[in-house]
Amino acid sequence: MSDAAAERVAALAAAARVPLAEGAAARIAGATAPTIARYAAENIALPLETEPASFLVVQLRDSARDAGR
Amino acid sequence: MSDPTLMNLKDLAAAIKRRKVSSLEVTKALIARIDEWQPSINAFARVEPDDALKSAKAADRALAAGKAKGPLHGVPLAHKDMYYSKGKLAECGSKIRKGWIASTTATAVERLEAAGSFRLGAVNMVEFAYGPTGHNVHTGNVCNPWSIDCVTGGSSSGSGSAVAARLVPAALGSDTGGSIRLPAHFCGVSGFKPSNNRVSRANCMPLSFTLDTVGPLAQTAEDCALIMSIIAGPDPLDPTTATAPTWDAKAMKQPVKGRTIGIPKAFYVDDLEPGVAKALDDAIAVFKKLGVKVVQVDLPDQVMVAAAALIVLAVEASACHAPWLRSRPQDYGAQVGNRLQNGLAYSAVEYLEALRWRAHALEAHLAAIGKCDAVLAPVSRAVAPTQAETDVGGATNAEAIIQGITRFMRPINYLGLPALVVPAGFGARDLPIGLQIIGRPFNDETIAALGIAFQGVTDHHTKVPQRA
Repeated sequence: MSDAAAERVAALAAAARVPLAEGAAARIAGATAPTIARYAAENIALPLETEPASFLVVQLRDSARDAGR
Repeated sequence: MSDPTLMNLKDLAAAIKRRKVSSLEVTKALIARIDEWQPSINAFARVEPDDALKSAKAADRALAAGKAKGPLHGVPLAHKDMYYSKGKLAECGSKIRKGWIASTTATAVERLEAAGSFRLGAVNMVEFAYGPTGHNVHTGNVCNPWSIDCVTGGSSSGSGSAVAARLVPAALGSDTGGSIRLPAHFCGVSGFKPSNNRVSRANCMPLSFTLDTVGPLAQTAEDCALIMSIIAGPDPLDPTTATAPTWDAKAMKQPVKGRTIGIPKAFYVDDLEPGVAKALDDAIAVFKKLGVKVVQVDLPDQVMVAAAALIVLAVEASACHAPWLRSRPQDYGAQVGNRLQNGLAYSAVEYLEALRWRAHALEAHLAAIGKCDAVLAPVSRAVAPTQAETDVGGATNAEAIIQGITRFMRPINYLGLPALVVPAGFGARDLPIGLQIIGRPFNDETIAALGIAFQGVTDHHTKVPQRA
């Protein structure tokens, strides 16, 4: 795991005020690297108006599908 | 009268109602069975025999007076040790909450008790519901009744183990990343992960407020549906359920003939153990015989969906636990402590982007399955591994191993879809195999109907493990 990735974890943990033992930042960086890499590769670009609650709109819209069956 | 401990929930409730067996007899029989099994499987966190026997007697008196409370009158239940019951311990499988007594009662439990059930005790779980195997360094591992050297799956380890061993007719579990479905699969029982926002999470221990779901494990799909019919629907204490439909019994009784099931072309069918692949093929044949149309579906990249899910789960879990990560990090087991720390690695933008992407991901999933009513997929690529081979603790490769076990789980939580696990056969080392019937949003009743139809013509769900 790169030093940069471990440094990023250390910085985020410090911002969250969570103390990490020696070596923990490198371990966390290693454990999360595959997820971060896959996620970054998607290069998500959503419409400006999309928000977390947009999920509920899709959920509810589809749930009406079986009505009257 | 057959052994009441072996009866499924629906039949047991009916037998009590018709006074073929008393609630007291049932409770005594379950307590005796727990005494036999508990030393080998550790399914219960605690049994409360005195209170349970008192409740049973009260239920029998009420029934005799013509005052049955509801469809579960006189049925003893035990739930995962994260469901609060006012005045009772809820230790959440942890050291940190050891001795913690709830001051409120979970809405789901309140509804089950209003329907006539009562508390037999509480069942064990993975520490803070954050692990897929059933290992727990604080309370001891829960063991699989089919083979006690094997894992139960987690995090609802005690729920799966207790229902499989017939120590309780049903138990609530919770599913944030597979925690109902994995124990159902590994322990050979039915398990229902509802649509997100369908069942109140009020007064339950949270792990991820976006992904947590509350649902039952039981012997049959019909039993799961019975519990869902009681606990589903809006709850003012959980605003995320504001749009939740109540259970539609009529929709559940629609014939399955003419329904369409999709089989994924990839991901969920990759690298399956031969027994799991055969169970899937056999189940497809069963559904075809039931008049269900079976088609192949090409789902969007599930690895990306799982990555987004993991970011949401990890960050929310870390946020929930941040105060204890600061003040009591030494009181977590190594694996859970490490996983909670992993949530610190993601930035706020990554997290919020993962939440915003959820609508897009669900739309893409629905477009991919077209008119399918459900998707049928394995729960895991293999049967239950041994405890020894998955005892990874805080090892550096623990996260990779955990991801392997939960591979087919996490996308469903992220997409908020309902999923019912039904026992579908036995594989390597004669261990059970479950398959998940994954529905459309808020179409929980349809997957219940498919599961009930499947169990109407198969008998995998009736098999009971024998005590070694």
